[in-house]
Amino acid sequence: MHELGILVEVVKTVEDFARKNNLEKIDTLVLQIGELSEIVPQYIKECYPAAVDGTMLDGTNLRVDILPGNGICQKCNKVFNIIEGKGKCTHCKSRKFEVISGHEFMIKEVIAC
Amino acid sequence: MDSFKVFEIKKSVYENNDAQASLLRTKLKEDKVFLLNLMSSPGSGKTTTLVKTIEALKDEFSIGIIEADIDSDVDATTISKTGVKVIQLHTGGMCHLNADMTRQGLEEIETDGLDFVVLENVGNLICPAEFDTGAAKNAMILSVPEGDDKPLKYPGIFRAVDVLIINKIDAAEYFDFDLEAATQRAKKLNPNIKVFPISAKTGEGVEAWADWLREEIKIWNK
Ligand SMILES: Nc1nc2c(ncn2[C@@H]2O[C@H](COP(=O)(O)OP(=O)(O)OP(=O)(O)O)[C@@H](O)[C@H]2O)c(=O)[nH]1
Ligand SMILES: [Mg+2]
Ligand SMILES: [Zn+2]
Repeated sequence: MHELGILVEVVKTVEDFARKNNLEKIDTLVLQIGELSEIVPQYIKECYPAAVDGTMLDGTNLRVDILPGNGICQKCNKVFNIIEGKGKCTHCKSRKFEVISGHEFMIKEVIAC
Repeated sequence: MDSFKVFEIKKSVYENNDAQASLLRTKLKEDKVFLLNLMSSPGSGKTTTLVKTIEALKDEFSIGIIEADIDSDVDATTISKTGVKVIQLHTGGMCHLNADMTRQGLEEIETDGLDFVVLENVGNLICPAEFDTGAAKNAMILSVPEGDDKPLKYPGIFRAVDVLIINKIDAAEYFDFDLEAATQRAKKLNPNIKVFPISAKTGEGVEAWADWLREEIKIWNK
């Protein structure tokens, strides 16, 4: 279950941010996970309560925003969704493209006061 | 009433660790310590391969081994029989080592006088690939019983490593392992990857791997 280990790193970063910005109470943590990353959002959600146990984030809500796995086609220059196209450009069916998004795993923001 | 607001953080989950890893790598370069991060699934033969690697290189280099295991000293005991310096890091349930844990391990083993240190990472093909430990080079072992389709299933780690060791080739005929297919799949993900087919049991192929390491250690420690 690698999601737990990764979440522990996330919690450390958020606690650090909260201390530096004098946040008193955190309500929600928002993460962004790319469609092409090897992180499974469902597991992240399941592990969250265990990962935040005993930390500043104990009892907070988690929201996960999914970022699309997009590529730009090198033949027709159009942007398309790689998962939808199953690895081929959805416009011209070319397999030559550059990934422009989808591998990210970001801490987007916290809703706090 | 509390009034909640949005505070933007916008930070990659890996950013802190990446920064710590770069610092560590710079320090290791100054200290002339070559750190190899060795990753694989559980049981693919990391410890057995390390024993063979130590035998091949221990007359030329002063070697240290950091064993990272969730909980046990078995591997450290095996390695200590070769006579090199070894410590056991307990990861407390963590599925990977990060740069900070690696730094602590290096402090504990005391790298003064060592020129080659190997980190036997936790057996897992996903998280160790995501966390830079600060190592000079990264290697992974794929063993024959795991199948030649692993590059298709876990592309991340094949992209992250400099070397792919294919171990247990002595057992190839029992597992229908296609060495050529595995190599091609890995190279498609990572054109610069070096591939060494070996048997840590019989010693076949270990020399080519040890030759590569010897050159890399010399370049790093120059
Ligand atoms: N046939 C064969 N067996 C091997 C070879 N290398 C290792 N083994 C066997 O595979 C098993 C696991 O080897 P280890 O070296 O302990 O593997 P490991 O990756 O260090 O395992 P963990 O630390 O538990 O993840 C042992 O029974 C070894 O004897 C090989 O080249 N051929
Ligand atoms: Mg081992
Ligand atoms: Zn196109």
